Amino acid sequence: MTTHMNIKTQYPAMDDVRLAQQARTDPEAFAELYHRHLTGVYRYHLAHTGNLKDAEDLTSQTFMSALEGIVSYRGTGSYIAWLMGIASRKRSRFFRGNKPQVPLDAALQIPTPDLPTEKAAFLRLQMDQVLGALKHLSPDRAEALILCFFSELSFAEAGLVLGKSEAAVKMLISRGLQDLRTRTSLALEVDYE
Amino acid sequence: MNKEILNQIPAEEKPAASKLNSTAEMMQVSPTFRWNLEAQLMDAYKTKEQPAQSWYTKLVAPVSWAVLAVLGVFALSWTLRSLVPSLAPASRTTPTPVATFEANVRAGNVCKGPLAVAHDFSVARTNQNKTGFVILDEQQAIGELRSMTWSPDGRQLAIVGNTTGSGNIYLTDSANNSLKPVLSNPELGYLWDAAWSQDGKQLLAWSFQNNTTVYLMNADGTGSLEKKLNLQIFATPQFTPDNQSIIFYGTDSTSSGLFEASLDGAQVKLISALMEDEGGYAWSPDGSQLTYMEMDRTTGEARLTLEAVNRGSKTVIATLPIPKGSGSSIPEVANLSWSRDGKNLVFDFGRGATDHAIYLAHADGTGLVKLLDSAYAPAISSDENCLAYISDKQVFLLDLTSKNATPLLLADLPSGRSIAGFKLDKLQWGSEASLKP
Repeated sequence: MTTHMNIKTQYPAMDDVRLAQQARTDPEAFAELYHRHLTGVYRYHLAHTGNLKDAEDLTSQTFMSALEGIVSYRGTGSYIAWLMGIASRKRSRFFRGNKPQVPLDAALQIPTPDLPTEKAAFLRLQMDQVLGALKHLSPDRAEALILCFFSELSFAEAGLVLGKSEAAVKMLISRGLQDLRTRTSLALEVDYE
Repeated sequence: MNKEILNQIPAEEKPAASKLNSTAEMMQVSPTFRWNLEAQLMDAYKTKEQPAQSWYTKLVAPVSWAVLAVLGVFALSWTLRSLVPSLAPASRTTPTPVATFEANVRAGNVCKGPLAVAHDFSVARTNQNKTGFVILDEQQAIGELRSMTWSPDGRQLAIVGNTTGSGNIYLTDSANNSLKPVLSNPELGYLWDAAWSQDGKQLLAWSFQNNTTVYLMNADGTGSLEKKLNLQIFATPQFTPDNQSIIFYGTDSTSSGLFEASLDGAQVKLISALMEDEGGYAWSPDGSQLTYMEMDRTTGEARLTLEAVNRGSKTVIATLPIPKGSGSSIPEVANLSWSRDGKNLVFDFGRGATDHAIYLAHADGTGLVKLLDSAYAPAISSDENCLAYISDKQVFLLDLTSKNATPLLLADLPSGRSIAGFKLDKLQWGSEASLKP
């Protein structure tokens, strides 16, 4: 039988580390962690793959692995860094075995049923442009930008995922933004009004 | 968007940052997917909670995998040995007697001077006979430790920490292990680092929140002056030999890398745009030479470069291979430092938090030696015959005068408070003089 998790949280004030420890025996605690970090994980995979189906598939794999491995999480480091480490390994495996053959613009779809056609088209264009620009950066710079901007990790948390110091992550972000400005037309486009 | 990041992005980069941010906000998880995955996870959780299979069934799979893994290792080992008959070992594996070296360390004949260690929020220094560490902050006054650095004469250790709302700097007394507060100022924000002037009379500090400003003060904490820079500091400012400028790892509106900026704000110079790591530059002890590691992705080379300040000449004294082209992530260099006699440099190089190897480079360019695998935070003692380093949460000493020395375990890293996501592992030798009142 399928039972849905309780969306209304019982743990508004509990930090991730304590929640993760409790999640070993308490499904509601795991549900709370899921709700807190689903968007970050999903955006991470969508930024890398540019494809909704692949992003959903990798997000499912990430949380399934997190559920399997929650007993091995010792609570000695950041939970989000641990989770994004899983996401990073899933993404690496995906790209090793499954090089995307579909052009980015064709693969990219945005569920925007409520938006006017013009606005939806603009959003598709912008996402196409941004994800395309990220692919022109060196992988470590792109990864730092995706972790901090799309998954909203702090410098320290991104550093744990990347195995680098906070200062090194700041430098990767700085160089990545400079690359986007100077090597792509990303910053020059006019926003949709 | 992450406010920490937004606040620190220079104006020139804000359009691109805004574009990334607005794109991220477009990426909404569809309710159907959210709902379905929730259901799958809940079902999986319930399955996980089901009574387990019999012990026999549970054992079969792991045992089978273990047998396969052992067979695989044997097969791989046999293949490698047949293909590469004379593969040289990367690390020092030849056992040699350590007793003499250990006795000399304990007696204070070698590895002279105190070794300071920073780990998590703890800072400690070796005891008199180097059998362990003495925690300097038993009262936990420092708060969140951010950095430690010995004065140029190696007699005083400056320690930077932050308690709620206030950045603090402490100095160790030269005769004992007590801490002397020299600065506690909530207006400076979260202090990140401190640097000594070359004459040991001044300290320079900077804060994470306002990283375009540095604070210059006397070594006793008095006379604080605010100096505005038109650049962002990311890490590790160091005074130039004339104390008129600082070098640091940072960025201006167009470039990132290793910069020199005069403290009067008048001059800014990009020393190298190929510097990628905060721990990859250091002044020679006499201040005549600056060395830094350049990461050239075009040629696929990490170049340890020596710049003679007065002559303006540059020499590459050692190189290491890195992945070529912009399409790959590259290793990082950390903890670059000189021996006190100015003849050797050590650093660690590798990927990830712990997968680093320690290298020793001769400053005259005559050689680069890989000393140790799976080790980091190297530091050469002031008598030049001893290398301290960290491996597997322990601190070791290596006899640099012996070709096949076995490392001596000094002590475990001090255990202390920390927070999730924080990591600071650093070793630094003081001078022998600091042990004398």
